[in-house]
Amino acid sequence: MTLRRGLLILALLTPGLGVILLMIGSVFYVAVMQSVGFYNLTGEDSFSLEHWRKVLDSKQFGRALSYSAYIAVVASIGSVAIAYPIAIWLRRPFRGSLVISALLKAPLFVPGLVASFLFLNVIAYHGIVNQLLMWIGITNAPIRLQNDRGAWGVVFLQLWKNMPFALLLLTGAVQSISDEVLDAARDLGAGGFDRFRKVIAPLTVQAMQASLIIIFIGAAGDFAFQVTAGPTNVQSMAQYMVFLKDSFGRWNQAAAVGLSLMVLALFGSLMLAFTARILSKSGKW
Amino acid sequence: MVMLLESNAIPKTAKRKAGTLNRVLMIVLMTACAIWLVVPFTMAVLWSMVDPQTGWEYPDLLPPSLTLLRWAEVWTTTALPQALANSYMLAPTVAVITLILASPTAYCFARFDFPGKGLAQILTLLPLVVPGFVLAIFFSSLIFSLGIYSRFLSILMAHCVLFLPYAIRVMTVAFGQVRQDLIDAARDLGASPLAVFRAAYMPALLPGVLASLIIVFIQSIEEFAIAFIVGAPDFTTIPSILYSYLGYNFIRPNAAVVSLILVVPNVLLMLGLERLLKSANPAQSGVKG
Repeated sequence: MTLRRGLLILALLTPGLGVILLMIGSVFYVAVMQSVGFYNLTGEDSFSLEHWRKVLDSKQFGRALSYSAYIAVVASIGSVAIAYPIAIWLRRPFRGSLVISALLKAPLFVPGLVASFLFLNVIAYHGIVNQLLMWIGITNAPIRLQNDRGAWGVVFLQLWKNMPFALLLLTGAVQSISDEVLDAARDLGAGGFDRFRKVIAPLTVQAMQASLIIIFIGAAGDFAFQVTAGPTNVQSMAQYMVFLKDSFGRWNQAAAVGLSLMVLALFGSLMLAFTARILSKSGKW
Repeated sequence: MVMLLESNAIPKTAKRKAGTLNRVLMIVLMTACAIWLVVPFTMAVLWSMVDPQTGWEYPDLLPPSLTLLRWAEVWTTTALPQALANSYMLAPTVAVITLILASPTAYCFARFDFPGKGLAQILTLLPLVVPGFVLAIFFSSLIFSLGIYSRFLSILMAHCVLFLPYAIRVMTVAFGQVRQDLIDAARDLGASPLAVFRAAYMPALLPGVLASLIIVFIQSIEEFAIAFIVGAPDFTTIPSILYSYLGYNFIRPNAAVVSLILVVPNVLLMLGLERLLKSANPAQSGVKG
């Protein structure tokens, strides 16, 4: 590669990739520096691990971390688990399959806050779900479903919003498996589940990993669903971070929480993707 | 075509069984979809039209009377017109700037081979893997320390970077579809660079350009974390107004109005986008996560 060509490539990459690296790099740098006592909006800058210690010692942090990890794992695995059978069913086009697939993917285009609002309406104290439960006779009085302690509302919203994304990626992957391969597996006596375990899963593992990673990261960093529909006795990591920043401007501690959230998002999603790969390649499950 | 192939490959009884199964599955799924989409959206529309005089209270299944008063009230008494103006000024600007920033990189990815290209392509996805609120909070602290006080400019910058991955991806596919033989033919016939661009590049790029503009536009309108953290409290966008009605002051009819204002134009744009992508290349133009 000549110098001229190299310079041209660099020049072409600068406005796109260069801008991304500069900005994400600076944001990351500011977060790291703030977490150890620099970039203070008020007061002196000085190196200190005190902010990390305060955050790591607090009970709230531990709860937020495990809560966000829990939501992220359930959302990513749940979305993929629901999307797989639908993707396989829609593998070959049939009458109405396009409509079905469009309807199923619609939540992709509904912003998170709107999704929250729609959901809150449906599960409201005198909402349609409660009326239905009373009408069937399961309960005598309406149940308080909003901000439930088990975080079922958040889990439902995560699945509603993310399953279509997994479906989008998995449909493409499943459709690219040729009929010959599946027919061969069928001829060799593989049942439905075996075909999935030994043929479909290994051949679509990349799409599965991409879905798991993106959904995990989004759900781990969730703020909107948690604040509107989540339990009030526990905070998600993003919510806790915003809370620290807003109450008494504890930016340094917020930075420590933010970095922990990034670590959770990165390691959690990679671990999940790695596990998915090992399992699908070995076929022993 | 597929049906024909199927009928040759699979015995008739099996086919009939599969057909019935599909029909049953479809009815089940259509019902689920109705509950999944129709009920929630109908309730939003109804709530946005509840008459403040009569209200909508238990045990009425439907509101006793409908009116557009709420829409008028939200429009005249809240910051919604300003938020709409902000959002709809921000989004097209973001879409155009992002396209301009993304194009050279996309061109490079599509038409050059160089060591480290794979890594470079993965690195462009960085904005997608950093949780939105982390990015928002530390971006706001970055712009404070840089002394940038324009909210519009700050959100604009953040949105451009945040949505660059989509634009780069879409435009890389578009540049990949420009045919080298057409470029060569135009050059051989003595076309000027501009004429080469018009004859060989434009037709292949146009769907990608429109797709990139629409995708980034929609993302920017819907984006909440940065608009909320960086913009609060004086610069409002549609999602931050909606959030204010969902928080401590939960005002259901107002939230319904704003939800519909946020979601309906985007759905229409999305439908347009889908047509566009189908006309271009359905297999390659999809946004990859």
